[in-house]
Amino acid sequence: MIITKTEFLLRTHLDQQTLEVWIQEEWLSPEQADTEPQFSEADLARAGLIRDLQGDLGVNKEGVGVILNLVDQIHSLRWALANRIGGKTPQDGSAEP
Amino acid sequence: MKDPYETLGVAKTATAEEIRSAYRKLAKKLHPDLNPGDKSAEEKFKQVAGAYDLLSDTEKRRRFDAGEIDASGAERQHERYYKDYAEAAGGRRYQSASSGFDDFASQDDFLAELLRRRQEQARRAPGADRQYQLEVDFLDAVNGATKRITLPDGGSLDVTIPPGIEEGQVMRLRGKGAPSRGEGPAGDALVEITIRPHRFFTREGDDIVLELPITISEAVLGGKVKVPTTTGAVMATVPKGSNTGTTLRLRGKGAPKKGGGHGDELVRLKVMVPAAPDPQLEEFLSGWTPGASYDPRRDMQS
Repeated sequence: MIITKTEFLLRTHLDQQTLEVWIQEEWLSPEQADTEPQFSEADLARAGLIRDLQGDLGVNKEGVGVILNLVDQIHSLRWALANRIGGKTPQDGSAEP
Repeated sequence: MKDPYETLGVAKTATAEEIRSAYRKLAKKLHPDLNPGDKSAEEKFKQVAGAYDLLSDTEKRRRFDAGEIDASGAERQHERYYKDYAEAAGGRRYQSASSGFDDFASQDDFLAELLRRRQEQARRAPGADRQYQLEVDFLDAVNGATKRITLPDGGSLDVTIPPGIEEGQVMRLRGKGAPSRGEGPAGDALVEITIRPHRFFTREGDDIVLELPITISEAVLGGKVKVPTTTGAVMATVPKGSNTGTTLRLRGKGAPKKGGGHGDELVRLKVMVPAAPDPQLEEFLSGWTPGASYDPRRDMQS
Protein backbone atom coordinates (compact mmCIF):
# COMPACT_ATOMS: atom_id res chain seq x y z
CA MET A 1 0.00 0.00 0.00
CA ILE A 2 1.30 3.41 -0.94
CA ILE A 3 1.33 6.21 1.62
CA THR A 4 1.65 9.80 0.47
CA LYS A 5 3.94 12.28 2.15
CA THR A 6 1.02 14.17 3.70
CA GLU A 7 -0.49 11.00 5.11
CA PHE A 8 2.92 9.86 6.34
CA LEU A 9 3.51 13.12 8.22
CA LEU A 10 0.04 12.85 9.73
CA ARG A 11 0.44 9.26 10.87
CA THR A 12 3.94 9.69 12.28
CA HIS A 13 3.25 13.12 13.85
CA LEU A 14 6.45 14.36 12.24
CA ASP A 15 7.02 17.82 10.85
CA GLN A 16 8.18 18.27 7.30
CA GLN A 17 11.64 19.48 8.27
CA THR A 18 12.37 16.49 10.49
CA LEU A 19 11.27 14.13 7.76
CA GLU A 20 13.59 15.83 5.29
CA VAL A 21 16.51 15.43 7.68
CA TRP A 22 15.69 11.75 8.16
CA ILE A 23 15.59 11.18 4.43
CA GLN A 24 18.81 13.16 3.98
CA GLU A 25 20.49 10.99 6.61
CA GLU A 26 19.17 7.96 4.70
CA TRP A 27 17.39 6.72 7.80
CA LEU A 28 14.36 6.56 5.55
CA SER A 29 14.51 6.06 1.82
CA PRO A 30 11.03 6.14 0.34
CA GLU A 31 10.40 5.33 -3.31
CA GLN A 32 10.64 8.40 -5.49
CA ALA A 33 7.67 8.66 -7.80
CA ASP A 34 7.52 11.80 -9.93
CA THR A 35 8.38 14.60 -7.53
CA GLU A 36 6.66 13.14 -4.48
CA PRO A 37 8.12 10.39 -2.30
CA GLN A 38 5.93 7.33 -1.74
CA PHE A 39 6.08 5.61 1.63
CA SER A 40 5.22 2.06 2.65
CA GLU A 41 4.02 0.46 5.90
CA ALA A 42 7.65 -0.55 6.45
CA ASP A 43 8.72 3.11 6.28
CA LEU A 44 5.98 3.94 8.76
CA ALA A 45 7.15 1.31 11.24
CA ARG A 46 10.76 2.38 10.70
CA ALA A 47 9.84 5.96 11.54
CA GLY A 48 8.29 4.58 14.75
CA LEU A 49 11.59 2.92 15.57
CA ILE A 50 13.56 6.13 14.94
CA ARG A 51 11.15 8.05 17.15
CA ASP A 52 11.53 5.45 19.93
CA LEU A 53 15.31 5.62 19.62
CA GLN A 54 15.46 9.40 19.82
CA GLY A 55 12.69 9.82 22.35
CA ASP A 56 12.30 6.98 24.85
CA LEU A 57 15.80 5.64 24.45
CA GLY A 58 17.60 8.98 24.37
CA VAL A 59 19.87 8.11 21.46
CA ASN A 60 21.52 11.07 19.75
CA LYS A 61 21.64 11.68 16.02
CA GLU A 62 24.93 9.89 15.40
CA GLY A 63 23.75 6.95 17.47
CA VAL A 64 20.55 6.55 15.47
CA GLY A 65 22.53 6.15 12.24
CA VAL A 66 24.80 3.54 13.80
CA ILE A 67 21.89 1.60 15.28
CA LEU A 68 19.86 1.63 12.06
CA ASN A 69 22.87 0.39 10.14
CA LEU A 70 23.35 -2.48 12.60
CA VAL A 71 19.64 -3.26 12.68
CA ASP A 72 19.66 -3.43 8.88
CA GLN A 73 22.61 -5.79 8.99
CA ILE A 74 20.85 -7.97 11.56
CA HIS A 75 17.84 -8.25 9.29
CA SER A 76 20.04 -9.16 6.35
CA LEU A 77 21.66 -11.85 8.45
CA ARG A 78 18.36 -13.11 9.78
CA TRP A 79 17.05 -13.24 6.25
CA ALA A 80 20.07 -15.16 5.01
CA LEU A 81 20.01 -17.49 7.99
CA ALA A 82 16.32 -18.21 7.58
CA ASN A 83 17.01 -19.12 3.96
CA ARG A 84 19.95 -21.29 4.93
CA ILE A 85 18.07 -23.35 7.47
CA GLY A 86 14.51 -23.20 6.24
CA GLY A 87 14.89 -22.63 2.55
CA LYS A 88 12.44 -19.78 2.75
CA THR A 89 12.23 -16.16 3.71
CA PRO A 90 10.40 -15.22 6.86
CA GLN A 91 7.10 -13.45 6.13
CA ASP A 92 7.71 -13.55 2.42
CA GLY A 93 7.53 -16.98 0.93
CA SER A 94 7.49 -15.77 -2.63
CA ALA A 95 10.91 -14.17 -2.67
CA GLU A 96 12.77 -17.30 -3.55
CA PRO A 97 11.69 -20.19 -5.73
CA MET B 1 -0.73 -7.05 35.52
CA LYS B 2 2.18 -6.59 37.83
CA ASP B 3 2.74 -3.51 39.94
CA PRO B 4 4.22 -0.86 37.64
CA TYR B 5 6.81 0.18 40.22
CA GLU B 6 7.95 -3.42 40.38
CA THR B 7 7.96 -3.70 36.60
CA LEU B 8 10.30 -0.75 36.30
CA GLY B 9 12.24 -1.78 39.40
CA VAL B 10 11.86 1.53 41.21
CA ALA B 11 10.68 2.48 44.69
CA LYS B 12 7.22 3.93 45.22
CA THR B 13 8.91 7.15 46.21
CA ALA B 14 11.00 7.36 43.03
CA THR B 15 11.27 10.78 41.36
CA ALA B 16 10.17 11.35 37.79
CA GLU B 17 13.81 11.41 36.76
CA GLU B 18 14.48 8.05 38.41
CA ILE B 19 11.48 6.53 36.69
CA ARG B 20 12.59 7.87 33.35
CA SER B 21 16.10 6.55 33.66
CA ALA B 22 14.87 3.15 34.86
CA TYR B 23 12.57 2.94 31.88
CA ARG B 24 15.26 4.01 29.49
CA LYS B 25 17.63 1.36 30.79
CA LEU B 26 15.03 -1.38 30.34
CA ALA B 27 13.85 -0.09 26.96
CA LYS B 28 17.38 -0.17 25.57
CA LYS B 29 17.58 -3.81 26.54
CA LEU B 30 14.05 -4.86 25.58
CA HIS B 31 12.95 -2.74 22.61
CA PRO B 32 11.48 -5.25 20.13
CA ASP B 33 13.38 -3.77 17.23
CA LEU B 34 16.64 -4.34 19.04
CA ASN B 35 15.59 -7.95 19.75
CA PRO B 36 13.95 -8.93 16.49
CA GLY B 37 13.90 -12.66 17.19
CA ASP B 38 12.90 -12.58 20.85
CA LYS B 39 9.18 -12.83 21.53
CA SER B 40 9.64 -12.61 25.31
CA ALA B 41 11.47 -9.29 24.96
CA GLU B 42 8.47 -7.89 23.11
CA GLU B 43 6.11 -9.04 25.88
CA LYS B 44 8.33 -7.60 28.59
CA PHE B 45 8.75 -4.36 26.67
CA LYS B 46 4.99 -3.95 26.41
CA GLN B 47 4.69 -4.20 30.18
CA VAL B 48 7.60 -1.90 30.83
CA ALA B 49 6.31 0.69 28.38
CA GLY B 50 2.83 0.43 29.86
CA ALA B 51 4.19 0.93 33.37
CA TYR B 52 6.15 3.92 32.17
CA ASP B 53 3.11 5.42 30.43
CA LEU B 54 1.28 5.19 33.75
CA LEU B 55 4.01 6.47 36.04
CA SER B 56 5.39 9.19 33.76
CA ASP B 57 2.01 10.90 33.68
CA THR B 58 1.75 12.80 36.97
CA GLU B 59 -2.03 12.72 37.05
CA LYS B 60 -2.27 9.01 36.22
CA ARG B 61 0.43 8.23 38.78
CA ARG B 62 -1.43 10.18 41.48
CA ARG B 63 -4.65 8.36 40.75
CA PHE B 64 -2.88 5.00 40.73
CA ASP B 65 -1.20 5.76 44.07
CA ALA B 66 -4.55 6.82 45.48
CA GLY B 67 -6.04 3.51 44.34
CA GLU B 68 -8.47 5.20 41.93
CA ILE B 69 -7.22 3.24 38.95
CA ASP B 70 -5.35 -0.02 38.69
CA ALA B 71 -2.61 -0.99 36.32
CA SER B 72 -4.83 -3.10 34.08
CA GLY B 73 -5.02 -2.05 30.49
CA ALA B 74 -1.80 -0.18 30.90
CA GLU B 75 0.06 -2.40 28.48
CA ARG B 76 1.06 -0.19 25.66
CA GLN B 77 -0.70 -0.99 22.45
CA HIS B 78 2.12 -0.34 20.08
CA GLU B 79 1.58 -0.07 16.37
CA ARG B 80 3.58 -2.74 14.62
CA TYR B 81 7.31 -2.75 15.03
CA TYR B 82 9.80 -2.31 12.26
CA LYS B 83 11.04 -5.87 12.70
CA ASP B 84 7.65 -7.07 11.45
CA TYR B 85 8.38 -5.47 8.09
CA ALA B 86 12.16 -5.56 7.85
CA GLU B 87 12.42 -8.93 6.18
CA ALA B 88 9.32 -8.59 4.04
CA ALA B 89 9.36 -6.91 0.67
CA GLY B 90 8.87 -3.36 1.99
CA GLY B 91 11.82 -3.44 4.37
CA ARG B 92 14.14 -5.44 2.15
CA ARG B 93 15.21 -2.19 0.59
CA TYR B 94 17.02 -1.23 3.78
CA GLN B 95 18.96 -4.45 4.15
CA SER B 96 22.65 -4.01 3.61
CA ALA B 97 23.86 -5.74 0.50
CA SER B 98 26.24 -8.22 2.08
CA SER B 99 28.54 -6.18 4.26
CA GLY B 100 27.59 -8.14 7.37
CA PHE B 101 28.70 -11.52 6.11
CA ASP B 102 30.50 -11.51 2.82
CA ASP B 103 33.60 -12.77 4.59
CA PHE B 104 32.07 -16.11 5.46
CA ALA B 105 29.72 -16.21 2.52
CA SER B 106 32.70 -17.04 0.34
CA GLN B 107 33.23 -20.24 2.36
CA ASP B 108 29.69 -21.43 1.96
CA ASP B 109 28.50 -22.01 -1.57
CA PHE B 110 24.86 -22.03 -0.63
CA LEU B 111 25.10 -18.72 1.23
CA ALA B 112 27.21 -17.16 -1.51
CA GLU B 113 24.66 -18.20 -4.10
CA LEU B 114 21.84 -16.89 -1.95
CA LEU B 115 23.46 -13.50 -1.52
CA ARG B 116 24.32 -13.28 -5.18
CA ARG B 117 20.74 -14.06 -6.09
CA ARG B 118 19.38 -11.53 -3.66
CA GLN B 119 21.62 -8.77 -4.92
CA GLU B 120 20.63 -9.73 -8.41
CA GLN B 121 16.99 -9.60 -7.39
CA ALA B 122 17.41 -6.15 -5.88
CA ARG B 123 19.17 -4.96 -9.00
CA ARG B 124 16.53 -6.35 -11.28
CA ALA B 125 13.59 -5.08 -9.24
CA PRO B 126 11.31 -3.01 -11.45
CA GLY B 127 10.65 0.68 -10.83
CA ALA B 128 7.49 1.97 -9.24
CA ASP B 129 4.27 2.45 -11.18
CA ARG B 130 3.13 5.99 -11.81
CA GLN B 131 -0.44 7.17 -12.01
CA TYR B 132 -1.80 9.76 -14.37
CA GLN B 133 -5.18 11.17 -15.22
CA LEU B 134 -6.12 11.98 -18.76
CA GLU B 135 -9.22 13.86 -19.79
CA VAL B 136 -10.30 13.17 -23.35
CA ASP B 137 -13.02 14.57 -25.56
CA PHE B 138 -16.18 12.54 -25.93
CA LEU B 139 -15.59 11.90 -29.63
CA ASP B 140 -11.95 10.89 -29.05
CA ALA B 141 -13.14 8.35 -26.50
CA VAL B 142 -15.62 6.90 -28.99
CA ASN B 143 -13.43 6.98 -32.08
CA GLY B 144 -9.98 6.56 -30.51
CA ALA B 145 -7.13 9.07 -30.65
CA THR B 146 -3.53 9.65 -29.71
CA LYS B 147 -2.93 12.05 -26.86
CA ARG B 148 0.23 13.38 -25.34
CA ILE B 149 0.64 13.70 -21.56
CA THR B 150 3.22 16.19 -20.34
CA LEU B 151 5.03 14.74 -17.35
CA PRO B 152 6.03 16.70 -14.24
CA ASP B 153 9.69 16.15 -15.09
CA GLY B 154 9.25 17.81 -18.49
CA GLY B 155 9.10 14.64 -20.55
CA SER B 156 6.03 13.50 -22.39
CA LEU B 157 4.09 10.34 -22.94
CA ASP B 158 2.08 9.41 -26.02
CA VAL B 159 -1.09 7.54 -25.17
CA THR B 160 -3.04 5.72 -27.85
CA ILE B 161 -6.67 5.69 -26.82
CA PRO B 162 -8.50 2.67 -28.20
CA PRO B 163 -11.91 3.39 -29.76
CA GLY B 164 -14.81 2.92 -27.35
CA ILE B 165 -12.85 3.52 -24.14
CA GLU B 166 -15.06 4.14 -21.12
CA GLU B 167 -15.06 6.58 -18.24
CA GLY B 168 -12.77 5.48 -15.40
CA GLN B 169 -10.96 2.86 -17.46
CA VAL B 170 -7.26 2.57 -16.61
CA MET B 171 -4.70 2.02 -19.32
CA ARG B 172 -1.41 0.38 -18.40
CA LEU B 173 1.58 1.53 -20.42
CA ARG B 174 4.35 -0.96 -19.80
CA GLY B 175 7.73 0.47 -18.93
CA LYS B 176 6.52 4.07 -18.83
CA GLY B 177 6.63 4.38 -15.02
CA ALA B 178 9.54 5.22 -12.72
CA PRO B 179 12.94 3.79 -13.65
CA SER B 180 14.30 0.87 -11.65
CA ARG B 181 16.69 1.66 -8.82
CA GLY B 182 19.06 -0.92 -10.25
CA GLU B 183 19.05 -2.38 -13.71
CA GLY B 184 15.53 -3.72 -13.71
CA PRO B 185 12.76 -2.65 -16.05
CA ALA B 186 10.95 0.61 -15.45
CA GLY B 187 7.54 0.46 -13.77
CA ASP B 188 4.31 1.02 -15.63
CA ALA B 189 2.34 4.19 -16.21
CA LEU B 190 -1.29 3.82 -15.19
CA VAL B 191 -3.47 6.30 -17.03
CA GLU B 192 -7.00 6.78 -15.78
CA ILE B 193 -9.37 8.08 -18.41
CA THR B 194 -12.03 10.67 -17.74
CA ILE B 195 -14.32 11.76 -20.55
CA ARG B 196 -15.47 15.32 -21.13
CA PRO B 197 -19.22 15.48 -21.79
CA HIS B 198 -20.35 16.30 -25.32
CA ARG B 199 -22.70 19.11 -26.27
CA PHE B 200 -25.41 16.77 -27.53
CA PHE B 201 -24.20 13.18 -27.46
CA THR B 202 -24.35 11.03 -24.35
CA ARG B 203 -23.41 7.42 -23.95
CA GLU B 204 -25.32 4.46 -22.54
CA GLY B 205 -23.00 1.47 -22.65
CA ASP B 206 -22.16 0.92 -26.30
CA ASP B 207 -25.06 3.04 -27.51
CA ILE B 208 -24.84 6.73 -28.29
CA VAL B 209 -27.91 8.72 -27.32
CA LEU B 210 -28.91 11.93 -29.06
CA GLU B 211 -31.92 14.16 -28.62
CA LEU B 212 -32.91 15.52 -32.03
CA PRO B 213 -35.21 18.54 -32.29
CA ILE B 214 -37.66 18.35 -35.22
CA THR B 215 -40.30 20.70 -36.57
CA ILE B 216 -44.03 20.15 -36.26
CA SER B 217 -44.34 19.40 -39.96
CA GLU B 218 -41.49 16.85 -39.83
CA ALA B 219 -43.29 15.19 -36.93
CA VAL B 220 -46.70 15.13 -38.57
CA LEU B 221 -45.75 14.53 -42.17
CA GLY B 222 -42.54 12.59 -41.70
CA GLY B 223 -39.47 13.18 -43.82
CA LYS B 224 -35.75 12.88 -44.19
CA VAL B 225 -33.60 14.72 -41.67
CA LYS B 226 -29.87 15.09 -41.21
CA VAL B 227 -28.74 13.38 -37.98
CA PRO B 228 -25.28 13.91 -36.50
CA THR B 229 -23.42 10.72 -35.51
CA THR B 230 -20.01 10.38 -33.92
CA THR B 231 -18.55 9.69 -37.35
CA GLY B 232 -20.33 12.43 -39.29
CA ALA B 233 -23.91 13.29 -40.28
CA VAL B 234 -26.23 10.77 -41.94
CA MET B 235 -29.73 11.07 -43.38
CA ALA B 236 -32.48 9.36 -41.46
CA THR B 237 -36.19 9.04 -42.04
CA VAL B 238 -38.59 10.43 -39.44
CA PRO B 239 -41.75 8.33 -39.77
CA LYS B 240 -45.06 10.02 -40.30
CA GLY B 241 -46.81 10.87 -37.01
CA SER B 242 -43.67 10.87 -34.83
CA ASN B 243 -43.86 12.46 -31.43
CA THR B 244 -41.58 13.84 -28.74
CA GLY B 245 -39.97 10.76 -27.20
CA THR B 246 -40.17 8.64 -30.34
CA THR B 247 -36.79 6.93 -30.67
CA LEU B 248 -35.08 6.06 -33.92
CA ARG B 249 -32.37 3.42 -33.82
CA LEU B 250 -29.45 3.86 -36.21
CA ARG B 251 -27.88 0.41 -36.22
CA GLY B 252 -24.11 0.26 -35.94
CA LYS B 253 -23.71 3.98 -35.38
CA GLY B 254 -22.81 3.63 -31.68
CA ALA B 255 -19.50 3.17 -29.90
CA PRO B 256 -17.25 0.24 -30.85
CA LYS B 257 -17.88 -2.85 -28.71
CA LYS B 258 -15.08 -4.67 -26.97
CA GLY B 259 -15.62 -7.92 -28.83
CA GLY B 260 -15.97 -6.19 -32.21
CA GLY B 261 -18.91 -4.53 -33.90
CA HIS B 262 -20.62 -1.34 -32.83
CA GLY B 263 -23.50 -0.28 -30.62
CA ASP B 264 -26.38 1.75 -32.01
CA GLU B 265 -27.21 5.40 -32.01
CA LEU B 266 -30.53 6.13 -30.38
CA VAL B 267 -32.15 9.31 -31.68
CA ARG B 268 -34.85 10.64 -29.37
CA LEU B 269 -37.09 13.05 -31.23
CA LYS B 270 -38.26 16.29 -29.67
CA VAL B 271 -40.95 18.26 -31.43
CA MET B 272 -40.27 22.00 -31.33
CA VAL B 273 -42.90 24.70 -31.82
CA PRO B 274 -41.43 27.81 -33.52
CA ALA B 275 -39.69 29.96 -30.91
CA ALA B 276 -41.18 33.22 -32.23
CA PRO B 277 -44.99 33.55 -32.65
CA ASP B 278 -45.94 32.44 -36.16
CA PRO B 279 -49.15 34.16 -37.41
CA GLN B 280 -49.65 31.62 -40.19
CA LEU B 281 -49.50 28.70 -37.81
CA GLU B 282 -51.79 30.45 -35.37
CA GLU B 283 -54.30 31.14 -38.08
CA PHE B 284 -54.17 27.56 -39.29
CA LEU B 285 -54.61 26.12 -35.83
CA SER B 286 -57.55 28.44 -34.98
CA GLY B 287 -59.36 27.04 -37.97
CA TRP B 288 -58.39 23.43 -37.25
CA THR B 289 -60.71 21.06 -35.42
CA PRO B 290 -58.81 18.07 -34.06
CA GLY B 291 -60.43 14.65 -34.20
CA ALA B 292 -62.26 13.29 -31.16
CA SER B 293 -59.43 10.85 -30.42
CA TYR B 294 -56.91 13.66 -30.00
CA ASP B 295 -56.77 14.12 -26.24
CA PRO B 296 -53.17 13.87 -24.97
CA ARG B 297 -54.31 14.13 -21.32
CA ARG B 298 -56.81 11.34 -21.54
CA ASP B 299 -54.81 9.11 -19.17
CA MET B 300 -54.75 11.79 -16.49
CA GLN B 301 -58.49 12.06 -16.03
CA SER B 302 -59.70 10.55 -12.82
